[in-house]
Amino acid sequence: MFPGEIHALLGENGAGKSTLVSIAAGRLVADSGEILRGGSQASYRNARDARHAGLVLVPQHDLLIGAASVADNLAFLDPAAPFFESAAARRARVGRLAQAFGLELGDADARADALPVGTRQRIEIAGALAGDPDVLILDEPTAVLSPDETAALFASLRKRADAGAAVVLITHRLAEVFAGADRLTLLARGRSVKTCRVSETTPQEIGGLLLTNTEGEKNFLEGVWGARALDSRADTPGGRSQTHSSEHAAQSAATQPLPSLVLTGFAPDEARAVRAERISLSLLPGEILVLLAIDGNGADTIARAIAGLERFSGRVEVGGVPLPLSGDPLAFRAAGGAFVPADRREEGLVAALSLSENLALPNPPGSVFLDRPAMRAHAEERLRAFGVRYASPAALAGSLSGGNQQKTVLARELAHRPGVLVAVHPTRGLDLASAAAVRSRILDACRSGTAALAVTADPDEAQLFGAPLRVVYRGRLSAALEPTTPPAALGRLMAGLEG
Amino acid sequence: MSRESAARRFAVAAAALSAAAAALVGLALLAGASPLDAVRALAEGAAGSPAALGETLARATALVLTAIGASLAFRVGVLNIGLEGQFLAGAVAAAAVGPLLAGSPLAARAGLLAAAALAGALWVMPAAYLEARRGVPEVLSTILLNLVAAAGVSGLVRGALQDPGGDYPQSRALPDAVRLAPLAAGGRVTAAILIALALALFATLLLEWTPFGLKLRATGLAPAAARAIGLPRARLRLLAFAASGALAGLAGGLEVLAVTGRLYDPFTAGVGYTGIAAALLGGSHPLAAAVSAVLFAALGTGSSAMQRDTGVPGALATIVPGVLVLAVLAARARLARKAA
Repeated sequence: MFPGEIHALLGENGAGKSTLVSIAAGRLVADSGEILRGGSQASYRNARDARHAGLVLVPQHDLLIGAASVADNLAFLDPAAPFFESAAARRARVGRLAQAFGLELGDADARADALPVGTRQRIEIAGALAGDPDVLILDEPTAVLSPDETAALFASLRKRADAGAAVVLITHRLAEVFAGADRLTLLARGRSVKTCRVSETTPQEIGGLLLTNTEGEKNFLEGVWGARALDSRADTPGGRSQTHSSEHAAQSAATQPLPSLVLTGFAPDEARAVRAERISLSLLPGEILVLLAIDGNGADTIARAIAGLERFSGRVEVGGVPLPLSGDPLAFRAAGGAFVPADRREEGLVAALSLSENLALPNPPGSVFLDRPAMRAHAEERLRAFGVRYASPAALAGSLSGGNQQKTVLARELAHRPGVLVAVHPTRGLDLASAAAVRSRILDACRSGTAALAVTADPDEAQLFGAPLRVVYRGRLSAALEPTTPPAALGRLMAGLEG
Repeated sequence: MSRESAARRFAVAAAALSAAAAALVGLALLAGASPLDAVRALAEGAAGSPAALGETLARATALVLTAIGASLAFRVGVLNIGLEGQFLAGAVAAAAVGPLLAGSPLAARAGLLAAAALAGALWVMPAAYLEARRGVPEVLSTILLNLVAAAGVSGLVRGALQDPGGDYPQSRALPDAVRLAPLAAGGRVTAAILIALALALFATLLLEWTPFGLKLRATGLAPAAARAIGLPRARLRLLAFAASGALAGLAGGLEVLAVTGRLYDPFTAGVGYTGIAAALLGGSHPLAAAVSAVLFAALGTGSSAMQRDTGVPGALATIVPGVLVLAVLAARARLARKAA
């Protein structure tokens, strides 16, 4: 790492990127080896020491204080904040930093735990940039940013680098690396595979290296070119021809299968986020609808309310069964629903239970005693089918990398052929191969009759499903769009510049 | 915690035992006695004779039950700190219905214990309700209910429940036919300890080996995930509240039935709190917590003998559990940080 450069760190999920930077920033202890900075050993005992030494890490999952306001969190993060500071000064900092770094930071008085993941991540980034650190490490900062914010972030990073700072950036998006970074290092299974200047290589070469260092994903290409995979689906009866007229599907029920998911005058009650407009739509078995939105526009809340995790008004029917307005995840699941939450670590898996225990929930086998052999066999079958890399079914779910955790969640959710799958950011933070695998599993499920509602913030991702899109902006849904809509047009809709 | 590796368990146990040994040696030296003599007196006082062992086991009964109750609650993520109050509620119920029960002694005992368990479960319900409906932390509400229960006992033994045949602040004695007879003549230990140990085994089997236990553990380890995955989180938590309250209530009922025969004031010297300490020491694992509870009871009986024989203060019986629990928690936290 040199002063004045932006260095991209690439590698599949589980390659060791997050672990490496956590050690550098004093959050984890190295098993062996040493870290040199300016020629002398630099091992920090904790993140505070590292921060004092001018090294700041923006972690993949933000570490804001949930009960504190945006203004207070930023005051904690800003090393220049005075010991005593008026509430007005703290509020003013929010606006100042939002302006300086081109990031939407939300309401200064909002509690951090009431904010969507994307906004929280932006607060963390703004707090890190505020201190003008000498070494700035960002762990997948762009996964939750809009295209405009990503551009603004790179401009801020370049400014820091020009001022002599070293910037490390972990990302899965090759386009960003080639647009914004000076050098790159490719990691695979904890080892450095290649380090070079960005100008000396091509996206094709790096993309190839990423893939050859990944375990052979059978359905990789199919998943990457999900659109093509779905085109073949159009040939099968009940395929694509129905997708566009979903609103009218219910009326012609006599000739078509009953819809799997029907929303009628539906709106989540969620007061803290953007209030969604009333929505009416229906999905037939095998249909996919992609909701595309920047975090904070209410798309996640719509998905969570359908899954029974938020209160709502109007009507939700899953497999013909109306769900209670107060929100009941059990009723949603009993009606044949499955849910992939945005926060897989908090809501997707029980980190401290084993993989086989996780895959056995919510209804573990056994009449009196747990049928452990059955659990083990079931887990091995599911994990293999979903290409999860794991040591043993007895390994703790929390020990897996993000991509493998996400595949495990899908393995559980798709185990019982759900009628409806609601998936929020199913591929967020995953490497290309894992993302493709996750997408292809969802498409597989839809081919065998599951209706899917996917929420994503990434236009490219949205298109890869090859299904109708709807952009959500401030709680309002756009008309159904073709999957072939140009990303630039989608970006404008997401930012509310059109529509 | 049930998943600690063997090496990790060993490290934690080593840390705890060295801390406890240090406390023991330090106290002995302060009192000017030989630490070896003190340990010998402690061991003999706790288990050196059938009578001493019986006394230890008699004391252990209530502790084992409250330790299981705390373990069950903690494993489901319910921080029931009110076992002391639920213990008292059970004792009150036993003292209130005991003298009224007629018929065969067996039926009377069953009725008395059922009433005690029910009273313990009911005593925790306000906390469960407030937590579920209003988000009131159960740590606060259960601990406050302890004070209410203690004040209630104090009022009842001077009022409604006072023995009409005497002036003491105590309830009427249970009929001798109903009281549990000692297992050995002259001793104090009864079949109650067997009931307690059987329940510890049952709770362990339930948590670790049944489908239902897996649901309970998942709820405790990750409440948000439990809800999203589709576990009946609210119902499981309510059940954990009720079960831990019932176990503490049962402890109170057995204390009246097997040990005291009546209710008086003050009725407990912190059996609910010591049960929590035993649960923490045992990693909220019911069997391990039961072993810790027996150990604490042994410290209690042994330390009075030690004070008599060597002059080392009997306060050791309260110091050592405290030191043990602190050492275990510190060692676990440190290991968890290293492993993260």
